[in-house]
Amino acid sequence: MRGSDLSSQQTAQRRIATFTRALYRGVAKRAAQAKVWRFGLLGASALLLSTARAGAQAAPPAPDDEPFDVMHLLSDRGLHDVRDESFNLYGQFTYISSWKRGFHAPYTNANGSTNSLLPGAERSFTGSFTLFFGLRLWHGGEVYFVPEAISERPLSALHGLGGSIQNFELQKTGATTPQLYRARSYFRQTIGLGGEPVEKGSQPLQLGTVVDSHRLVLAVGNFTILDFFDKSSIVSDPRRTFFNMAFMTHASWDFPADARGYSWGGVAELYWDDWSMRVGRMTPPRNPNELQIDFRLWKFYGDQLELEHDHVLFGEPGAIRILGFQNRVDSARFDDAIAAFRADPGKNAAACTSYNYGSTNANAPDLCWARKPNVKRGVGVNVEQYLADDLGVFARGMYADGNTEVDAFNSADRSLSFGALAKGRLWRRPLDAVGVGGGMSWISSSHARYLALGGVDGFIGDGRLRAGPESVVEAFYSVNLLQPIWLSADYQRIWNPGFNRDRGPVDIFGARAHAEF
Amino acid sequence: MRSFSLLAGVVVALGSLTRVAAAQSEARGFAVERLYLSAPGAGWFVMDDLSMHGGLGGAVALTSGYARKPLQVGSGAQRLSVVTEQSFADFGFAATFDRFRLYLNLAAPLSSKGRNGTRNGEHFTGPSLTLKNTPDGFEDARLATDVRLLGQADSAFRLGLGAQLFFPTGKRSDYDSDGTYRAMARALFAGDIARFSYAGELGVHIRPLNEAATPDWPRGNELLFGLAAGLKFPLDTSAATVLVAGPELFGESAFDSLLGSRATGLEGLFTARLEVVSSRAELVRFKLGAGGGLESHLGAPEWRAVAAVELSDQFTEPREH
Repeated sequence: MRGSDLSSQQTAQRRIATFTRALYRGVAKRAAQAKVWRFGLLGASALLLSTARAGAQAAPPAPDDEPFDVMHLLSDRGLHDVRDESFNLYGQFTYISSWKRGFHAPYTNANGSTNSLLPGAERSFTGSFTLFFGLRLWHGGEVYFVPEAISERPLSALHGLGGSIQNFELQKTGATTPQLYRARSYFRQTIGLGGEPVEKGSQPLQLGTVVDSHRLVLAVGNFTILDFFDKSSIVSDPRRTFFNMAFMTHASWDFPADARGYSWGGVAELYWDDWSMRVGRMTPPRNPNELQIDFRLWKFYGDQLELEHDHVLFGEPGAIRILGFQNRVDSARFDDAIAAFRADPGKNAAACTSYNYGSTNANAPDLCWARKPNVKRGVGVNVEQYLADDLGVFARGMYADGNTEVDAFNSADRSLSFGALAKGRLWRRPLDAVGVGGGMSWISSSHARYLALGGVDGFIGDGRLRAGPESVVEAFYSVNLLQPIWLSADYQRIWNPGFNRDRGPVDIFGARAHAEF
Repeated sequence: MRSFSLLAGVVVALGSLTRVAAAQSEARGFAVERLYLSAPGAGWFVMDDLSMHGGLGGAVALTSGYARKPLQVGSGAQRLSVVTEQSFADFGFAATFDRFRLYLNLAAPLSSKGRNGTRNGEHFTGPSLTLKNTPDGFEDARLATDVRLLGQADSAFRLGLGAQLFFPTGKRSDYDSDGTYRAMARALFAGDIARFSYAGELGVHIRPLNEAATPDWPRGNELLFGLAAGLKFPLDTSAATVLVAGPELFGESAFDSLLGSRATGLEGLFTARLEVVSSRAELVRFKLGAGGGLESHLGAPEWRAVAAVELSDQFTEPREH
């Protein structure tokens, strides 16, 4: 890369880092679902953009647009150097409450199925507390350790939504009693290969340091694959942005993870100026959507390959990422489950003797009769672009083959999400944020046939199905209080929950309290 | 008369059922681990060197250990290893200021395995924890504080107090938790005289779990005691690298049968640690220890091995005293 370009690129990267330093506070997980999107979001984005540009002319410099945290406080007082850290410690707390209105549903859990979103009004919540420890062992060698506690109550026992679960924090194994667990413990080694110096700001899972723009980064241990792949400077951390899981990553990326969203394995990243490439192999769950892990990485695995290009367009930073995945796991093909049922109706959902999702529908096929080593593949693209200093837009789309059941993330087989997010500097509240976005997800034809016959997967299955895309539109506003605290209000409308045109739409109102330190 | 006979029959039947139930009672697990690690940056594995000093500082430690047969019941040919092995990785974090220390330990169980069996009418179910089935669990988390009351960081005699609170984040079935909160209060002492270094403790383990009816199971509150001594061997002329080697002895005894043979555990650990002051004035310690139970009750294992690496850093200069 040429020097001037590099300088521009680094300026842009620094701007992203400033914009998102605290936007990225952890991440991980979880499971989920889908419906139809009917809004003119591009129009809304354009309106937001024009407002932003007009406002940017008059907005005076903000007195303080950096969030509070202990490490920077120590550094400001000369007790720590965030630019050259031997350790750091960050933390966060997030409480999210969701209230779902009652919605239209001509049938629910039909014929003994168990996975419908319940049509009555419901309340859901999550509370999470996380500590992020980082320690430098030697030059380029770092270890990270992240304990986390979560308490939760999902809507309808986390059933009935396919690609747009309303709260990204929800886990498959959660309970109202707080559970403490180790979210991450991994080692990372950065090997410099020359090029220009690049400053890496201190933040969770990143010690403040300077690295080469040409470098190889190796990580091994326990983490979420989302720590490395499909990152976004705009919407990577839903704790500060969108509530819905559809915006956390590709809804149809069945990334290898346990029931909490974490896994074990290794990742190698090669950075070469504005290009980067990463590859990783991670452990899948022993059974689909379980907490237990299968460590036989030579036999069962999730492989990822991603190519990223960072660019500057009209002076504003952006990035394009192409991601491919291949999972080889013990899972069932929908067509195999249907064929087994048709060949022998005794092989129905109510008669399962092996791992299954509890359906009592004796007239439906079930995945339990067809599990064997299978491969799932998919490819996706992730685009982000800043349109102004404090306004960014993003879009993600992924196509997975959809032949096999959900193993680790959610039930979607194809997905699309897009939106815009703006910081509040334009209206003199630099740490506030507002966002609007839309997401759609689909299931494959074999997946739809299986559900229409009354089958269930890990999350959905109403007993009947009139297939359609599950879609969500979401808008939120986060107001910052005293620097370390954000309070957010959120609205979501979800069409075709569980990919079923017969049910919905669903209105969900949300509130979030989030603190960082 | 017939009514009396019927009543007597019912009473006898109920009594029999009660005895059968008692004969088939199931012993539940508890926190077997007795290696109560010292604070990150405290030098020894169990004892505390009370060397807090300076302004704001901190330490992190990663400790991993393996214990063989830490819980056995019965004797002779009837001996049953309820817990045949346990291993852990403990992550410790400490903040220090002047003579005070606050620290947190989170230990992840790596394995906890054992055997099932019945002894004296009590059924024991050993743990079967592996990373595969419990990939992200924790044993009981510990939040603690120490303060040095007498002496300076390098005095010949230092005296301090420590308090620890254990949160029941582990599981009884994994034998890494009592399922209740626990606490410790300890008097600590330590000192350095030329090349000789020592440390010790005397304290109380406030333990609500009392299942004295089951041999080798917790019997409520316990006395804690320990002593460590070692010699320092400078490995370079500037003393930036020092080897410290010596034994640590530690144990516990239930107050309800203080120092009774089946209510007391005693363990010895031979330890060696390499202390290196880095170019950034950080103190890095690499620690190794091996030993076993001298009185194999209450969780003292047949043998154990433990290793640790810890880093202590001082953010500000010491205050003048």
